[in-house]
Amino acid sequence: MVDAARQPLIEVKTFTEVEKVEGYVGNFVVTLREKSKYVRADRCNGCGACTKACPVEVPNDFELGLAPRKAAYIPMSQAVPLIYNIDMDACIHCYKCVEACGALEAIDFSMEDKLVEQEIGAIVVATGFSHFDPTPMTEYGYGRFPNVITAMEMERLNNSAGPTHGALIRPSDGKSPKHIAIINCVGSRDKRYNTSCSNFCCMYAIKNALLLKQMHPDAELSIYYIDIRTPSKGYEEFYDRARESGIRFIQGRPSEITEDPDTHQLFIASEDITLGKVIEREYDMVMLNQAAIPQPDQNHMSSVLNVAQSPGGWFMEYHPKLRPMDSPTDGIFFAGACQGPKDIPASVAQGSAAASRASRILHSDSWQIEPTVAVVWPDRCVSAKGQACGICARACPYGAIDYTKGLAAEVITAKCHGCGACVGECPHDSITQLHYTDAQVLAQIRTLLAIEPEKKILAFRCQWCSYGGADLAGTSHFEYSANERGLRVMCSARMDADLIYEAYRLGAGAILYSGCHPQDCHYITGQISGAKRAARLEKIFERMQMSPGRFRTEWISAAEGDKYARIINEMQATLDAIPEDVLKAEIERLRPEMSKRLTKMGEVPGVAQAMAQVDFIVDEMIGKEKGA
Amino acid sequence: MSEDPITKSHAADFPQDEPRIGVYVCHCGSNIAGVIPPEEVVEFAGKLPGVVRSIDTMYACADSGQRLIKEDIAKYGLNRVVVSACSVRMHEPTFRGCVAEAGMNPFLMEMANIREQCTWAHGHDPEGALKKAKDLTAAAVAKATFLTPLDMIKVPVTKRAMVIGGGVAGINAALDLAEQNIPVTLVEKEPTIGGVMAQLNKTFPTMDCSI
Repeated sequence: MVDAARQPLIEVKTFTEVEKVEGYVGNFVVTLREKSKYVRADRCNGCGACTKACPVEVPNDFELGLAPRKAAYIPMSQAVPLIYNIDMDACIHCYKCVEACGALEAIDFSMEDKLVEQEIGAIVVATGFSHFDPTPMTEYGYGRFPNVITAMEMERLNNSAGPTHGALIRPSDGKSPKHIAIINCVGSRDKRYNTSCSNFCCMYAIKNALLLKQMHPDAELSIYYIDIRTPSKGYEEFYDRARESGIRFIQGRPSEITEDPDTHQLFIASEDITLGKVIEREYDMVMLNQAAIPQPDQNHMSSVLNVAQSPGGWFMEYHPKLRPMDSPTDGIFFAGACQGPKDIPASVAQGSAAASRASRILHSDSWQIEPTVAVVWPDRCVSAKGQACGICARACPYGAIDYTKGLAAEVITAKCHGCGACVGECPHDSITQLHYTDAQVLAQIRTLLAIEPEKKILAFRCQWCSYGGADLAGTSHFEYSANERGLRVMCSARMDADLIYEAYRLGAGAILYSGCHPQDCHYITGQISGAKRAARLEKIFERMQMSPGRFRTEWISAAEGDKYARIINEMQATLDAIPEDVLKAEIERLRPEMSKRLTKMGEVPGVAQAMAQVDFIVDEMIGKEKGA
Repeated sequence: MSEDPITKSHAADFPQDEPRIGVYVCHCGSNIAGVIPPEEVVEFAGKLPGVVRSIDTMYACADSGQRLIKEDIAKYGLNRVVVSACSVRMHEPTFRGCVAEAGMNPFLMEMANIREQCTWAHGHDPEGALKKAKDLTAAAVAKATFLTPLDMIKVPVTKRAMVIGGGVAGINAALDLAEQNIPVTLVEKEPTIGGVMAQLNKTFPTMDCSI
């Protein structure tokens, strides 16, 4: 902590929140909200005279409310930086602190939150985790029984810097407890709350038991556990040490804690798997070892940073094995528990790893980004012919398109992230996306639907989420119908209506229009463009009296492999329920309608030429199938 | 960026060259070959217009697989490569790098995902999986036919990092960056850095102090 504050190249900004992240790798612009401390950092010398003078006392969050603090405060004596804060919610405006501060004049009640912008090359996200509040688990009585405490409360109670200076006392009577129980997996590995394992709490329970045993050798400690997990170096030996020191390990998840209301003694009912029976034991104090959960503002941060979340809410890495520190956004990296619960050694290692990933970029003079950007055909743009339009500029989530009536729209390449929203929205087919041109995508659609198109489920997927979801379905071996044919574009925003019409014209049985959940979109609002278009298409197909379910819109994250498989299987069931002759008749009936909507497609540069060539590929495919 | 790096005239145009496509169908050990016979995909792809070379390989990503592709580019005068193997999320950078080493523009390589999105998901239906693997390979061949060479876009880099969160991971990241002479802004929403770790007493397994 102190090292970070002392390092001249680190600017520590506490009491500061990230408001907005714009830009791209190497060139982010981050807007920070420096919340007002009402104490000027350049003047405060950390003497603490204001705290002494302050007459207001409120619970100290840092001590989990176990000790008070003043309205003029620092959260703990080792705070870094050592700058005092005025808690304006608690302040009674007596100005005694101002008097106490005197000539320093560090306290400034007129201070306001300040928004500052910083230009940043790479970002490391290390926002950490939060603790599960066991109050909803009424069977354990937390909040009702004073001697049932959480792990973090225990942490402060047996800490020499804590409110009791390290003296462990029972909250009910201030006496030193002798019989202490620790219950593991409180809110974790529990289908009602968090199904996953919180990673470090087994070791954490052992640590607390050992510490208590060291300080109070006559104390009797029991740890209730489901499994003890000690996979890292030196951990199993630590567990052995605890057992040898006389700490009792009881395998069984307690069903209930009851209390004697007069003595506040606690009784834990549980199974003991080793004994093979149900037991009840009496304790003076019980510590609930809480689950690690995502931060309360994790969803908000996910939107600000434009990064996705795994099941359970943690930030989702680009690839769990190959790129564990990378977010899907180039130039943004994760470190520590924000990506999933982890202990201190793993968090420290990840901090270094993320720094190393970021420094690859920061040590370079320039960085390369993919050229899958949008390009305008100026001769096709109606604005150049004097028509008012600008649809592309409005569709762009990044303001990367310059639109002036009378001039052809122009893409500012460095700002373009390559989602293809402008391409999907342009009603005049005047923009294309490199590497995902209409000719290229149409060539794929034609080949995928070359043989028995009516049996096929054509799945349009975005690169970041639903393509990843389909990958995960495979990696997890969730089986789904082999009639699915997948097609990748960068974002659902690129899924041009023409591509869908063409697929139906070719006789596609069903089409899945899929992408990220709105909050996960890699391109800020790309998914919103895609979703609006999908909703329009749904209405059009309904008016055409297309059988329900032949066009389906679904948002599937890269973590939802099971959902991907389920949806494809449901779509297969929908197709199976339509008699073949009925389906074929419907395809024939709608073919002219689809053709009618595709009049402009042939004019798109390269498309007619490409389609003539694809016909040869399709002929070969069909010929082969007939011959087989 | 003073100049727009995309030369608007050529990049979106229709390719002018006659396609000479090499198709590489990966076994991935038994991951693909355990469900479908890759040789059948090879034979099917070999007859598609524009394909001048079609062959299976035990592991396309291994040195031997990559060497085969690189040698073939010279030997057969390939100007497009299709790799029918795993997910682009796994190996697109690998095969782009591979063809680039042989002097081909990396954007002239296209992958068909016949593992994650085919054999792994359709183990119950090997016949359906084979049909799908052929279709996916044909679609990659069709797309490859119309690929144009593209150059990566170079952007400048601001030499400053931001670390969001001043807990143990964030502090360590900030220190590591600063010690490499990179200026860092360390942002913390609480009034002090330290995070959860600052609240802890001693830490396992060595029982040393947390602060």
